[in-house]
Amino acid sequence: MAAIKYVNLYFKLVSAGIRAQMQYRFAFIMRIIGLITAYTGTAVTMWVMLYQFQVLGSWNFFEMLFLYAVAILSWGFCVILFLHFRSLDTYILNGTFDRFLVRPINPFFHFMAMKFDMASFGQFIFSLIIFIWVSLELHIEWSSGKVLFLLASIIGGILIQGGMLVLISAIAFWTTKSQQFYWVVMYPARNLTNYPLVIYPKIVQWIAAFVVPFGFVNYFPAAVILEKGTPFFPESIGYFSPLVGLVFFIIAYCVWMLGLSRYKSTGS
Amino acid sequence: MPIIEVANVRKDFMIAKRETGMMGALKSLIKREYIKKEAVKDISFSINEGEIVGYIGPNGAGKSTTIKMLTGILVPSSGDVLVNGIVPYENRQENAKSIGVVFGQRSQLWWDLPTIESFELLKEIYQVSNQRYKKNMDTFTDILGLDEFLNTPVRQLSLGQRMRADIAASLLHDPPILFLDEPTIGLDVVAKEKMRTFIKEINHERKITVILTTHDMEDIEKLCERMILIDHGMKVYDGEIAMIKERFGKIRTLIVDLEESPRSIQLLGGEVCKEEGNRYWIKFNRDEVSASELIAQITKTHSVKDLTVEEPAIESIISRIYQEGYQPLKA
Amino acid sequence: MPRFHVYWIFTKKAFLRSAVYRFDVWSRLGSNLIFLLMWGSIWTALYAGREEAGGISFQAMLTYIIVSQFLTGVNGAGTPLWEIQEKVRTGDIALELMRPFNIPLRYLFADFGSVAFYIVTALLPIYAMLFIFMDFTLPADVFTWVSFIAAAFIGFLIRYCIEMSFGLLSFFLVETGGIEDIFYFAMSLLSGSVIPLWFFPEWLAKVAAYLPFQGIYYIPNAIFIGEIAGGEILLSIGLQIFWLIICYFLLRLVWNRASHKVVVQGG
Ligand SMILES: Nc1ncnc2c1ncn2[C@@H]1O[C@H](COP(=O)(O)OP(=O)(O)O)[C@@H](O)[C@H]1O
Ligand SMILES: [Mg+2]
Repeated sequence: MAAIKYVNLYFKLVSAGIRAQMQYRFAFIMRIIGLITAYTGTAVTMWVMLYQFQVLGSWNFFEMLFLYAVAILSWGFCVILFLHFRSLDTYILNGTFDRFLVRPINPFFHFMAMKFDMASFGQFIFSLIIFIWVSLELHIEWSSGKVLFLLASIIGGILIQGGMLVLISAIAFWTTKSQQFYWVVMYPARNLTNYPLVIYPKIVQWIAAFVVPFGFVNYFPAAVILEKGTPFFPESIGYFSPLVGLVFFIIAYCVWMLGLSRYKSTGS
Repeated sequence: MPIIEVANVRKDFMIAKRETGMMGALKSLIKREYIKKEAVKDISFSINEGEIVGYIGPNGAGKSTTIKMLTGILVPSSGDVLVNGIVPYENRQENAKSIGVVFGQRSQLWWDLPTIESFELLKEIYQVSNQRYKKNMDTFTDILGLDEFLNTPVRQLSLGQRMRADIAASLLHDPPILFLDEPTIGLDVVAKEKMRTFIKEINHERKITVILTTHDMEDIEKLCERMILIDHGMKVYDGEIAMIKERFGKIRTLIVDLEESPRSIQLLGGEVCKEEGNRYWIKFNRDEVSASELIAQITKTHSVKDLTVEEPAIESIISRIYQEGYQPLKA
Repeated sequence: MPRFHVYWIFTKKAFLRSAVYRFDVWSRLGSNLIFLLMWGSIWTALYAGREEAGGISFQAMLTYIIVSQFLTGVNGAGTPLWEIQEKVRTGDIALELMRPFNIPLRYLFADFGSVAFYIVTALLPIYAMLFIFMDFTLPADVFTWVSFIAAAFIGFLIRYCIEMSFGLLSFFLVETGGIEDIFYFAMSLLSGSVIPLWFFPEWLAKVAAYLPFQGIYYIPNAIFIGEIAGGEILLSIGLQIFWLIICYFLLRLVWNRASHKVVVQGG
């Protein structure tokens, strides 16, 4: 099928997903409130933490907020596009995944287009407000180059975190578990990257740069924009964010397809 | 000409063993053992274009596993599968175009959306032309009465309605082959009947090859001429239904309710096999005595309140075949 | 008077069942340790080489975080909030209403079993190693040990009452997203689990002091590192007991409402 057909189909499937979500409007609103509460909670924790100490590894409160907002912004897109990958295990266990294999389209694509979580737009409001606030506080000059760089990094961040979700879901093909891996790997990793990487032991920083490249989601790009140093790493490493994202996502996709070939369905 | 060919197919699953007791609990933290479950062992058959074949067997026999291998969902552990000239698991998307699948236990439709939207999405997924879509929808609406619930979300449909919607959805792209896994499970008598009529009709008019699994003997009797009987992952019988009924379905049971309970009932050609209060179960061989002869004998000596004749259920036929083994009459 | 031996059976069953979900045990331990690493690194960076800050030595602060992560592990091994909500939604809890026992108590005793399994097989070995191989402050006298364990246990009960009450709200609300996140926020910040109350801005410290959450982590942690000592210990534990009683009545209230709703409207 031609690519254009796939794009067309994507919009059709996604709009069905949105309409399905809108059937539960109250839940939808509660979710937005929940997301904003949770993010505000972390921001407040950062504030309390720095109330006495002023800086965390040379990053002050507003710089940390900026770091956080970059992460939240790309995570927001990730939630919209990929978050449901983490529940692949549930789809497999209750047998609903079978249907993706008896249809004449790419199962990865079909599964991805299954859901489209609109509630995530709550996160955009949150991160946008923070961007404006922090820009004013830190007097960041937004040249078009910087804006472009930020956008490219956000795309990189989406691909990295999305790729991670895809990888985690692929584990379900081997172990019939994915949700739990999300909570063990992804959730702590995301929390870790809410704070500047420089505070962690070198080995952790190294892993976050080259193994599970979460450092490219926010730390490296934010350091470039805020003109802060990234000890142990070259200053310009942040520019590689989109490339890293692309490579990581392609690897994740291949692993997913490999896992699919070992799909075992479910009994009963 | 065979449209489906299955040769020496087997499928094993590895299942984690459960440890028991306090020490077992601690042990399984470190090491877990697996046991091999042979869901399908060495099954072969071929199916011709236009057939309706009943694929039957008790729960856990391996019916769904076979269907999943035919539809490309599962890769066989060994053996060959060919569906419409395609190896399903190697070419899932190509295979998907030539098959329709319904799993009775779970819907393939979009749960939270009005039913019609599922049809429209499937139209896009299968690239069905407007013209063909309209024609098919008209036909299905006609036979299956879809219009009464097209605007209801799938999750609110009754089981019968949902099954009708599911089967219509599976035929939207005019597949030459239709797989039905327990299409009548949980349905009431009326809904079952509607389902059967529809299956019969599409087989007749569209020459669609149908394979259906079930453990309802009536499905088989009303729909199929041929059945494949499996148990414990092995093929036990493959052939005409008439023949198997001829051989194994001769023993019937007459159930009578009498006004009072006699000391004993003596009947020519019949034998009481169970009694409960004033109710008696009398086994007889159809070849030796007819039901009406037997009834005449009873009414002569006892006053009968009520009576019924029971045909052997598929379960009992299967268990008999399993006990006695099935030796083909012709080599 | 509940017949406790009946509830013991739930404890034993939960203990055995935990082993089946061995992946849960390992994964929980894994993420617990990642968070330990995170908060350890954060506090190391905040102290930035200083020996002490705000009257608290660096060593004491690290010990605080480790004890806190240990207790987080303990508290997290019970039935989590989402599972309670799930049980409400699927009607499992409503069904259990017909059984002849007190359901919140039954879940508490089951939690004892799974928590015990988790402590014995995962938490204790790892954290004991941490304390053996690294140089952290251990309480010197038996009294402090005993009061720490008592305070930690009461804290566990307080958390249980609060978490269960939040979980049971699902009986009245279809979707609890926002409320849940308030719970988690209070659990992490106001309880002092990651930042001790003495580093809070004054007004926030006051707010936290008037809430039950400090009883879950702050009080046992502070007792452990000797920040709460002498007569203050009894006072703090008294405060915990006060909150436990209030939270217990809160749970009873929510539970009575919930079961009333099930009986009248069928869930
Ligand atoms: N994905 C699977 N993993 C493990 N065991 C399975 C799986 N699918 C089926 N089984 C087992 O294989 C056997 C056959 O199952 P199935 O084909 O579903 O039987 P049927 O459809 O005839 O009731 C059963 O014992 C079932 O438990
Ligand atoms: Mg089955």
